[in-house]
Amino acid sequence: MINTIAYGLTIGAILYIISIGLSLTFGTMRIVNFAHGFVYTAGAYLLVTSLPLVRDNFILGAVLAVAAVIPISYVIERFVIRKLYGVSIDYAIIATYAVVLIGIDLIKWIWGAAPIPLSDPVGIDVSLGGVTLPLYRLIIIMLSLIIFLSLSLFFKKTMVGKIVVASLEDKDAARSLGISVDKYFSYVFIIGSCLAALGGVLYAPITSVHPYMGMMVLLISFAVVLVGGLGNVKGTFVSAFVLGMIMAITGRFWGPAAETMVFVVMGIVLIFKPIDV
Amino acid sequence: MSASSPYGKKNSYIATGPRSVMDIAIIAAAFIVLVPVLGINRTTDFIIFCIFVLGYNLLYGYMGRLSFGHMLYLGTGAYALTLFTEHVSKNPILAILAGICAGALIGIILGPIIVRTSGACFALINLAFDQVGYFLVIVAFSKYTGGEDGMSAYFGKLPLLDFGKKPVIFGFVLFCLLLTYYLLKKFTSSPYGVLIKSIKENETRVKFLGYNTFAYKWATFIISTSISAFAGALSILNYGYVTPSFIDPSRAVEVIFAALIGGAGSLYGSIIGGVVYMAISNYLASYIPRWEMFLGFALLISVFRFRSGIWGFIVERIEKRHNPSARQS
Repeated sequence: MINTIAYGLTIGAILYIISIGLSLTFGTMRIVNFAHGFVYTAGAYLLVTSLPLVRDNFILGAVLAVAAVIPISYVIERFVIRKLYGVSIDYAIIATYAVVLIGIDLIKWIWGAAPIPLSDPVGIDVSLGGVTLPLYRLIIIMLSLIIFLSLSLFFKKTMVGKIVVASLEDKDAARSLGISVDKYFSYVFIIGSCLAALGGVLYAPITSVHPYMGMMVLLISFAVVLVGGLGNVKGTFVSAFVLGMIMAITGRFWGPAAETMVFVVMGIVLIFKPIDV
Repeated sequence: MSASSPYGKKNSYIATGPRSVMDIAIIAAAFIVLVPVLGINRTTDFIIFCIFVLGYNLLYGYMGRLSFGHMLYLGTGAYALTLFTEHVSKNPILAILAGICAGALIGIILGPIIVRTSGACFALINLAFDQVGYFLVIVAFSKYTGGEDGMSAYFGKLPLLDFGKKPVIFGFVLFCLLLTYYLLKKFTSSPYGVLIKSIKENETRVKFLGYNTFAYKWATFIISTSISAFAGALSILNYGYVTPSFIDPSRAVEVIFAALIGGAGSLYGSIIGGVVYMAISNYLASYIPRWEMFLGFALLISVFRFRSGIWGFIVERIEKRHNPSARQS
């Protein structure tokens, strides 16, 4: 049982790290960003490339991979996302999906389509209440808590954070106060992309790295965002862990149903609380 | 964005009797000309995909609801037909009807949940249901559906329509396309069609005029799912077996691309888009190794430059030539 809880918390932690960027982009720019899934995949593949460069030092490799995503997300933001402000949301969905198609093909071109396995970077098990758990999972859970706390602080205490929150609430009012909202949206987008890449980096050793790893995770993250509320930092945190636990518990009883269960929950939530975007 | 759409400004676009007869003749002639070029099997495939695009475009182009999980409805028709031939009757016509009914049924059941949403939520909730359907087919009901391997469909012989012969299938499928086209033409040029277009433009206003927009949206959704299921059933008639790829959510982008590149919100556009997409995926794929990337760039270009699609572009050109002083859209 403790194993299931730990597994659920790990999934929840990674889902939170991925979803928060999606939620902020969704909340601020009103763009359903399918490219987020590609950035997640790119993070994992960049880790595969960077690990041999830093003699398998996982932390350095992770930092390099996330840093390498910054120019990629800048290109996506500059040439696709920025042109989609104020355009019908359908076109935003199609355009970001086109980015995914291009991106996945690029990945297949560079790294090949075969899955790449990675080993556990920590490799130490700790025993907790009579059950042994990989330390790596506990580190991921701690990391997501740190990210949650620092994001909350960032939104409460810093000027940039306050501006982003204000634009989340009312974009036009913020703009009329002389704030160049779009510039801050670019920052939000790049921070979100880095977090998605971090999610890919962290999850890569648990599963194997393959070109389509982002799509299913992206869909589940959308479920997290819709259940938690758009652009809601706390709501995303709670719903990520709740859905992570649901996945873990379902997976314990019937493995293949784990992901489907998330969509069932999302459907039920949307029946009672439809969101118009 | 639909404000820039070239349709609906001129009444000449709402066709009447002789006009739609001419349309049907042109479409039929075009596909018959394609037979010697592509081969009969592939042309049949093209026609079936066009029916799917027509069903999809009713929802996307006319009512402005982007569904990202329309493969579910195609798959419903395909699996319903196969299961019907396996367990109930081998009569192909009855089996196709069963497929359409299954499509209508899933529209009736899921409609009230789905059509209350719009925009991103509509796209994602369709995708979520598609994902659930894919799971049901591959894992939960794999005993009945054959799981990953799919299953074959066997048809009995009818006195006049022998579906063992490819030309008969071609003729039947072409007739189905023309029938769908004709019915949709009637639908979309009736007050009902005007109303769903108004829902696309401004739903709140239509609601304030006293229309029950929920009922209209639900009805449109059911028609769209039925036509998609019809296309799914017809493809099994052509292929003879069903696989989970008929319901695979990752293929949803195909029909979206076809609807967009042909011209959202026009029936001709749907057919052009269907043919163009099928030509790209069937032929260009063998010349261009990175054809998914090509598809991605084509999608980006059509979103940023050609929002009205190929047919919309042609219409704009014609209107400009006939009336140079017309507003540029």
